[in-house]
Amino acid sequence: MVDRIERELLLPAPPEEVWEVVTGPGWLADEVALELFPGGDARFSSNGEPKSGWVEEVLAPGTTEGGGGRLAFWWGTDGDPATRVELTLKPDGDAATRLRVVEARPLELLDLVGIPLPGTSGPSYGPAMLMAA
Amino acid sequence: MTISESGASAVFGALADPTRRRLLSAIAEQPATATELAGDLPISRQAVVKHLSALADAGLLERERAGREVRYRVTPAPLSDAVSWIAEVGAQWDARLASLARTLDAGNRS
Repeated sequence: MVDRIERELLLPAPPEEVWEVVTGPGWLADEVALELFPGGDARFSSNGEPKSGWVEEVLAPGTTEGGGGRLAFWWGTDGDPATRVELTLKPDGDAATRLRVVEARPLELLDLVGIPLPGTSGPSYGPAMLMAA
Repeated sequence: MTISESGASAVFGALADPTRRRLLSAIAEQPATATELAGDLPISRQAVVKHLSALADAGLLERERAGREVRYRVTPAPLSDAVSWIAEVGAQWDARLASLARTLDAGNRS
């Protein structure tokens, strides 16, 4: 699927600490206002460009069996279709977290009609260091 | 808003309709005129033309003269929007993840 961005990164901190940073101010956008419950409002702003959406799922680390966590929300700019973002946190050993990020947009329609997308066999984007971490 | 994002939006709009997806699918297999397409569908030629115009306006179809008719074919150009979206949004995530790694790395070393 080409309408999907997927990244995974191993971080030297426990899930609770990673959760604080990724849901806090300054990471998802310059300004972040997230209501951390299903159906909650999600508002963002970066470089003066606002984005808004809603929260789909919140599983804070520490409230789950296994100590992982998950945040799923939708965001978009006015007049454009929203995209879905899912952050998954899994503990890795004692003090590390495997963070997985998926952002997808409803482009499955193009797959549905069976049109080949150009560039799908090209190299994946992003610094190799992030994937190798 | 970048051009590529608003272009993608037009594509979504055009593809939101099941009849248009069906038409696009048929034309992707073989270029066709409105008359040919209307013969395979339970809708009027006029309705087919309207749908084809929406698809063409979104940049999904190209028109070419075929005698007194217009033949439509799929243009792959706007689909490169998907690729630029991947590149643009992917780069944003790479930047976020790099900054996250720096923050947590520094925090746990001090």
